[in-house]
Amino acid sequence: MNILIVDDEAPARSRLRQIIEDMAEHAVVGEADNGRTALEMAAKLSPDVVLLDIRMPGLNGIETAHHLNAGTHSPAIVFTTAYDEYAIEAFDAQAIGYVLKPVRRERLAQALRQAARLSANVLGEIARKAGLPEQRKHLCARTHGELKLIPIKDVYSFHADQKYVRVQHKGGQDLINDSLKTLEQDFADTFVRIHRSVLIAVRQIESLKKTSDGQVQVKLRNDDSGDGLIISRRHVANVRRRIKEG
Amino acid sequence: MASASEADADISQAYLPDFCAAGTVLVILLVAELVAIVLTLTSHTTPGLFLTELATLSMYVLWLALLGTALLCRIRPWVENRGKTQAFVISFFLLVSLCLILAELTFQLSSYFDALSLINDSHAGFVLRSLAISTIVIAMAMRYMYVSSEWRRSIVLEAQARVSALQALIRPHFLFNSMNTIASLTRSDPRRAEEAVEDLADLLRANLGGPKDRTTLKEELEVAAIYQRIEKLRLGERLNVRWNVQDLPMRALIPSLTIQPLLENAIYHGIELLPDGGEVTVNGKRSGEQLQIDISNPVAAGGQRKRDGNKMALANIRQRFELAYGNRASVTVDESASHYQVQLQFPLDESLP
Repeated sequence: MNILIVDDEAPARSRLRQIIEDMAEHAVVGEADNGRTALEMAAKLSPDVVLLDIRMPGLNGIETAHHLNAGTHSPAIVFTTAYDEYAIEAFDAQAIGYVLKPVRRERLAQALRQAARLSANVLGEIARKAGLPEQRKHLCARTHGELKLIPIKDVYSFHADQKYVRVQHKGGQDLINDSLKTLEQDFADTFVRIHRSVLIAVRQIESLKKTSDGQVQVKLRNDDSGDGLIISRRHVANVRRRIKEG
Repeated sequence: MASASEADADISQAYLPDFCAAGTVLVILLVAELVAIVLTLTSHTTPGLFLTELATLSMYVLWLALLGTALLCRIRPWVENRGKTQAFVISFFLLVSLCLILAELTFQLSSYFDALSLINDSHAGFVLRSLAISTIVIAMAMRYMYVSSEWRRSIVLEAQARVSALQALIRPHFLFNSMNTIASLTRSDPRRAEEAVEDLADLLRANLGGPKDRTTLKEELEVAAIYQRIEKLRLGERLNVRWNVQDLPMRALIPSLTIQPLLENAIYHGIELLPDGGEVTVNGKRSGEQLQIDISNPVAAGGQRKRDGNKMALANIRQRFELAYGNRASVTVDESASHYQVQLQFPLDESLP
């Protein structure tokens, strides 16, 4: 199998490389020292397995795994960790491939056999147990094979088009693979649904106003287009409540 | 406090207060005088003679108290060795016997000098009354000393327990990561692997020595420097530590395991979560008899904050500073969006050369 190693610590990467190079059936195709590079390399190299450290600066291991899953060719994932007592509990419960540092040869071989794609629920649980933020902090957009990470805090609104979801954000707009339903669940604390096909960031709401034909429109802070978004009747009460709550 | 070990023994083993110390004698005399006042207030019948009666009684009670204190001062080292319960029982009976003897002596002297009017009671009545009063007062005093020694002991034990808890707390993550680093270096750079094993051993030795009350700044900074070296192997260029501690007297005493855990926090919560790393600064300052050490680190913007471990280490350090210095020391935290700083202030106490 082709393996991509992701760890922010150089000695930890070289340790994994040393062990894998001793194994005839596997090969290291690349090393990344952060989550972002890892995503780019995964897109380019299409590894079968990604060895992922959990505690990394920037994009942590769990979030990186989320984005790896979202890709078209998503690799299997094996987590590596020094000592996350609670995360280990989650691994064991879900029978997920993981390796403890210091890394043991047999354990790594076994974990590589166990490597599997992980569901969002499982990742959420591991994050929670490892004391990491459960929520993704970025969205991942792929345009022409190029990878773009959009910080959630920069997002104004999501709009469901036929097949994709369009993200309006500080840096423009992009298409992402996630469904509106998943996004609504994942970011329920900061976003609110105003329409069957639209989610907006609560803190971006500038004002609500009634139009002449009795509909309620919402004006977003950074929306220069001038025309507000229509809030469908059944969502109005909920939107007002969320604005009050802040 | 002359030295750390002496202070340690003093707190954890002594059941009885130091009766030879001037402070203790003063407190005992004050209490004795209060007892004399209470006794005079309840017994005095002749109007206008309160002060005269008080003076007579005071002389008797103060002599009793002084002689009792002197006795305890002499026998304390001996009774302390016999265990807590025995120490209190023996002291109690010795004091009561002393009072009995002195009451008898006083009666005999009064009758010899023909001053029995001062006592105004039959022989048996006077001796029994003295015995009863002194038994009650001594029993109450003993009970008070017993309770307060229990209280002091529990504080010391709690502090020790917290040090152990802290030690347990800093171990796992760091240890396993270091082992992994060493495992990796054994192939790529055996020489550095060797050094890392030596450093790790030194660090463990410093920690396994058991909770020491206080250690010298020199030792504490050495432990922190070793810790830094090991972490540097792992984090490489991402970790920098700037030490500005040349103004600090290296013989000054500091509660053990304070700087190293704070450095560990700075790395774990700060540097490790910064993609490009950063610099931890340790600034030491001396102003007169007061020392100040600031440990500050950059933090990731809106970073993942898992502060539980951090809070525990801080609470622990706070408690031990309070135990060692009372309100003469402070541990303050200064936190902004991009920086985190802990400031230690404590009085200068130097170890004996």
